[in-house]
Order: sequence, then C-alpha cells, then structure tokens
Amino acid sequence: MATEIVIPMLGITVEKGKIIEWLKNEGDPVEKGESIFVVEADKVTTEVESPASGILAKILLPEGVEVPLLTVVGVITRPGEEVPAKYLKAAAAVATTTPSGPEFAVSRPPPPAPTPVARTAEDVIRIVPAARKLAREKGLDLRTLTGTGPEGVILFKDVQTTAATVAEPSPKVSTLARRQAAKEGVFLAALQGSGVRGRVMRADVERAIRQEKAPRLGKVIPMDTMRQVIARRMSESAFNAPHIYFFTEIAMDPLLTFRQEILADFEVRYGRHLSINDFLIKAVALNILDFPILNATIRDKEILIPSDINIGLAVALPEGLIVPAIALADKAGLAEIAYQRTDLVKRAQSGKLTMAEIERGTFTISSLAQYDITQFTAIINPPQSGILTVGKTREELYLLNGNVASRKVATFGLAVDHRIIDGVVAAEFLQHLKLKLEKPTFTFLHL
Amino acid sequence: MREITYAEALNEALRICLTEDERVVLLGEDIGRYGGIFQVTKGLQEVFGPERVVDTPISEAGFVGAGVGAALTGMRPVVEIMFIDFTTVCMDMIVNQMAKMHYMFGGKGRVPMVLRINIGAGRGAAAQHSQSFHSFFMHMPGLYVAIPATPYDAKGLLIEAINNDNPVVFVEHKRLYVTKGHVPEESYRIPFGQAEVRREGKDVTVVATHAMVIAALEAAAEAAVAGIDVEVVDPRTLTPLDKEAILRSVKKTGRLLIADEDNKTCGVAAEISAIVAEEAVYYLKAPVLRNCSPDTPVPFSPPLEKAYLFGKDRLLESIRRLMAYA
Repeated sequence: MATEIVIPMLGITVEKGKIIEWLKNEGDPVEKGESIFVVEADKVTTEVESPASGILAKILLPEGVEVPLLTVVGVITRPGEEVPAKYLKAAAAVATTTPSGPEFAVSRPPPPAPTPVARTAEDVIRIVPAARKLAREKGLDLRTLTGTGPEGVILFKDVQTTAATVAEPSPKVSTLARRQAAKEGVFLAALQGSGVRGRVMRADVERAIRQEKAPRLGKVIPMDTMRQVIARRMSESAFNAPHIYFFTEIAMDPLLTFRQEILADFEVRYGRHLSINDFLIKAVALNILDFPILNATIRDKEILIPSDINIGLAVALPEGLIVPAIALADKAGLAEIAYQRTDLVKRAQSGKLTMAEIERGTFTISSLAQYDITQFTAIINPPQSGILTVGKTREELYLLNGNVASRKVATFGLAVDHRIIDGVVAAEFLQHLKLKLEKPTFTFLHL
Repeated sequence: MREITYAEALNEALRICLTEDERVVLLGEDIGRYGGIFQVTKGLQEVFGPERVVDTPISEAGFVGAGVGAALTGMRPVVEIMFIDFTTVCMDMIVNQMAKMHYMFGGKGRVPMVLRINIGAGRGAAAQHSQSFHSFFMHMPGLYVAIPATPYDAKGLLIEAINNDNPVVFVEHKRLYVTKGHVPEESYRIPFGQAEVRREGKDVTVVATHAMVIAALEAAAEAAVAGIDVEVVDPRTLTPLDKEAILRSVKKTGRLLIADEDNKTCGVAAEISAIVAEEAVYYLKAPVLRNCSPDTPVPFSPPLEKAYLFGKDRLLESIRRLMAYA
C-alpha cells in the first residue's frame, strides 16, 4: 500500500512550512527513518524522516512552495507497486494551481513522531570512513558525490574518481564555503578569497550573500521565509494585542559594582563570563515569580500561565531578529544562565537553534544597551504578553541629600498586552524589577 | 625439514623443557600413563617419571591450585585441562589466584605457570566439550594468552610460555592437533606479542586465529583466482596483542575481516574491531566484518554442528562482501 508523506507538525504556533530541499529524487529507494526532505517553518529548518521504506514514487510538492502543515507532499510505494491515480492528479494540480488547495490538506492526527533533527549536512550521507577523509582532504562536497557501493554508499574509489576529474578548484575554496555557495547559488569564481593564498572561506561566501541581499535604492528584494514570518508575527501582535508602555530609570551602579566584584572569582569557579544580561534575565525571572501574569498567554477565552519561566533574549542576525529562550530561568543559577545564553546566542548566529528553543519563551528581553539609544518601545513577541526593553547606561547628575552627585542610570521600558495586564500591575512589575536590580546583593543572594 | 604434527610439536616442546629445566613439572588428568586426551604428553612419564609428569585426580580446582602454589615456590608447572570447558570449575584459581598473585604481592611473588587448554568444535563432543571461549582469558588482566595455529608456532610459543615468568594461558585447538608442518628439531622461542603475516595482500586483511588461519589461507588462494589480494594476519598471542601489525595491515588494505571461533558477542573479533574503530577508522573503506561462532551452545546433532562450524567458504563470502566496497 502506498504511504503518504506529509509535512509534520512542527510546533504549536507553526501553521505552514515549505520544502527547501528534497534529499531524494523520484524513483529513489528510501528507508524508514531516513531523511527525505528539509522543511523550513518559522525561521527554522528541520529534516523530515521517511515514514516508510520503499520507493519515493511521486513528489507532489516542489521545493520553495509554502503549504499548510500535514499537506501530502509525496508518496512512497513498495517496489513494483503503481502510484495510485489520485496522487498523479494531485501532482498535476500542484503544478498548475495554488499549492495550498484544500484537497491536499489532509486532516488527521500527526504522523507518528517525526523526530525533527537539527539539520547537519553530513548526517544523511552514507560514505565509508576512508572516503570521507579523502573527500575532506580534497575539499569535495559530499553531497556532490555519487555512491556506487552497496545501497548507494559512497566508496573510496568514488571519491578518487571525482577528485581526479574535478580539476584542482580554482580559486581554492574551503569545504564549508563550497557547501554554502552551492546552497545559496553563489558563483565562486567571482569571489575574492580572504584565506591563506587567496582561499575562499565561508565568511567570503556569506559576505557575498549579504551584499546580494543588502537593500539598495531601486531594488526589489523577495522576502525570505524568515522575513515573512517576522512580518506576519509582528503585525499579528501589533494589531491584536493592544500594547501599553511603561518606562523607569534604574540606577545601574550597584549592579555594575556587584558584577565587577564577583566577575573574576565567578569565572575561576564556574568557567563562565558573566554579562549584565545574565543578571537581567535572572532578575526578570525572579520578578515573574512575584507577578505570574507576566508569564501568561491568551488562548481563546482563557489565560494560560505556564509553570515554566523561559526568558527569551532577542538576538539580531543579518537576516532578522530571532529570540531563543533561556529555559527555567527562575530556577537556573547564574552560571547555568550564562552557559545557556552563550550557547543559544552562538547557535542562533550559526542557524542551529531548535524549534523548541525558540518556542518555549514566555517573556522577552530586548536590549539595545550597546547603542546610543536612551529608550525604545518593542512589539510583544506573540504569544507572550510582555517584553522588556533596555536602553544604554548613561551617566547623570542627581541630588543626593542636597548635594550634586553622579550616577549611572539606564531607562527600562515594558510593553504589556493590555487585554490581560492592567496598567497598575505592569507598573508594579517594573517597579519591583527596579528594586531587584538596584539591590543586587539581596536579589542574587541565594545563587 | 621434517614435518611433524601440532601435537608432536607440543610434545617436543615439553620434552625439551623437562630436560633443560628440572623445575618444570606437568600436572593433569590422564597425562601420564595415557599420554593425555590428545596425546600431547605421550611418553613423557616414562622418561621423566611420575614425580614430574603427574596424573591428577579429577579436580581441576585442586590441581590448578597446586600449580599456582608450585609456581609461587619457584617451580615451572605446566598444567593441562582436558577442555577449555572445564576451566569454569577452577575459575577462581585462574582468575583470582594465578592471574592476581603477582600484583597482590607487589611483584615479590610470581606465578611462572602455563595452563594448557584447547578449543574447537566439530568432534561431536556436544555443548560441554566443544566450546571456544578463549576471549575470557584475553579479557582478564594478568594473564598472557597464546594461540598457536601451526606446529612451528605451537612448539616455539610453548617453550616461550614455560620460560616466561608470567602466568600463561596456552590455548590449543582440537582440530589442529593432527595437522602437520615443518618444525625444527632444536629448541627455539617465539616472543609474545608478535603477529605473523601469513600472506601478504593489498585488498583485504583477514585477521585469523587458530584453525581460521588455515581457512583464511585457503580462502585467500581461492580469492586470488578472482583477482582479490588477501592479506592474512595471525596474531599468535591475544595478550599481548600485536595491535601495530593489525593496524598496519588495515591501513594498507582498508578492509577488515576477523575470523575467530569464539562466540561473536564480546569475542576476540569484537575487541579487534573496536581497536580498529578507535585507531584506524579513517582508513576503512568498508564495514568491518566478523566470522565467528554463533551465539549458541555447540549442538550435538551432527547436521546442526555442521551448520555451527564455519571455514573457507564462509570466509570467502565475507571477503566478497568486503570487495563490494572496492
């Protein structure tokens, strides 16, 4: 019997996805559990595994077309089995009409546990170890190799053959650069390499891609999936959740001094470098314990307050903003928070976050403290109900017992969803946060 | 050069050691008047007397323990156990005494003792007299393990074992006792930890032990007709294991088959596979294959025992599978 391949459920807030790459061609044998395509949804790519073993008889959804989740995108048959006629018709329809037609959206429970794996290019390539090593030495992209061994495994001699036919690449290109260039369609020969002896590195390819995507007068830039997701979610939030804004000035000297005092010892003991953000994350999480409503989400006529407090931290990337969340920030110690933050930011920059890490956020912090920005407002990251903004720390004069003194101060802003959070609650939340940050020794006492 | 059997080569080694060194004594069941179940000690009691070639009662724990004690007092006992299967009744003596004394006494006591045992199915001797679990002793720290495959090695390794100051488990093979080969008349020693490349080749490495060495050479000859160049490596001792020789060969061929008659799970072949995976994985052009005994008791039923056994044909099959990756 033919088995349908669908785009799996990818997360609670995800509705649509598009296949950015089929890893198999029509007519290829596939094994159950083997990755067959890469789907992109809400900024994250996921490899999807085959639900059955057999032949990938029909691809119904081409690459690059966005469709609702659970849309049937392909059919697997047993060897020798005909492709049922209804799928052939469907394929023709996809090719000619809008791909999200209701006849393709199958309503049924999600397929059995499609384990979404973070996409790593080499996972799915079957190649004997010696051939892998040779390919690396020769700078060959494994994806370009054809295997002639049992079950299509790439053999040592396959790499040798390819290496012999591919003339010494000119210009010299690193493996990562070659892979990135192949993915994005960058013409390597046109690039100036910055590596040793003019070797083209991944950074060079990425620079070329950025330049290609950089806004220029008189240019039309198609929105990529990430930009489209950002656009949709931002307008959803802005138009559905009535925002109200609050600002307060927080004296930063105590926290800066406190951090300075523990920084060196902390690094020796825990091997982590503490940033001001780590204290902010922790203080916000502790503050949410006092004001659980700031952790809430609206679901129909209910206010849902999750028991976990996961604090999202906005990370700016060339392609747009992404908000991975520090898990259980109320329970995690500073060392754990610093570890999670470093790890998440690093992986955000290399595009290796998982869906869960982005979706689990219950409140967001957005900081522009590194810019000369005194204060700013932000749009709430749906389905959350609050977002904290952090402006630069500045020095100002103030009156202390009638004398002029100087202090460091930053303006914090809070935007909340007024549907469920009243102004007084928001004001108290921000005021308590101020107290926590201005009395760091007490706030972080039990850490 | 003259040809003698594996059993005769062992007999000659014992005879030489008994003659050269009065500390050498033999202990075992029916080794004296009867000459041993496989005739390895044939005629020795007549020459050296019942004081040095001792027929023991049927009590392995007793006479292996006596061997350990004798070794500790400075003797060089060579103890025969009829079948490897019976080592289980004296495992405490082997594992906790023979293998450990040297360590427990901080090197002040030593156990220069040889425990002769044999493996191999195929003689209709059923599940309790046919086993090949020599990897037990390879697994156990404190013991040397010798595994001669030819009459020449049988003699040279046994003389080395008796002269070695460490406890040695000397694993013979039932089917090999009657095989013949060139053996010099004089005394010679084969150092432990030196594998022998029995045949050089560039396509596939077969690491083979005991009777599998012979099977591997037969398979290699047949493979050569098909243009496949097989290298056969015989480790000769499992402890110490000549890792270098194995790795050198695998690095050359990139394809490895291990043929050993222990059970597949946790056996000698498993250990060698793991070593290669750890230290030479990037040289592998194909999966590592193992030809081992099935993980079942050795059947008594002759057709079933025949199915249990493997040899040249099974090895050839594996060699061809490896060459699918050529």
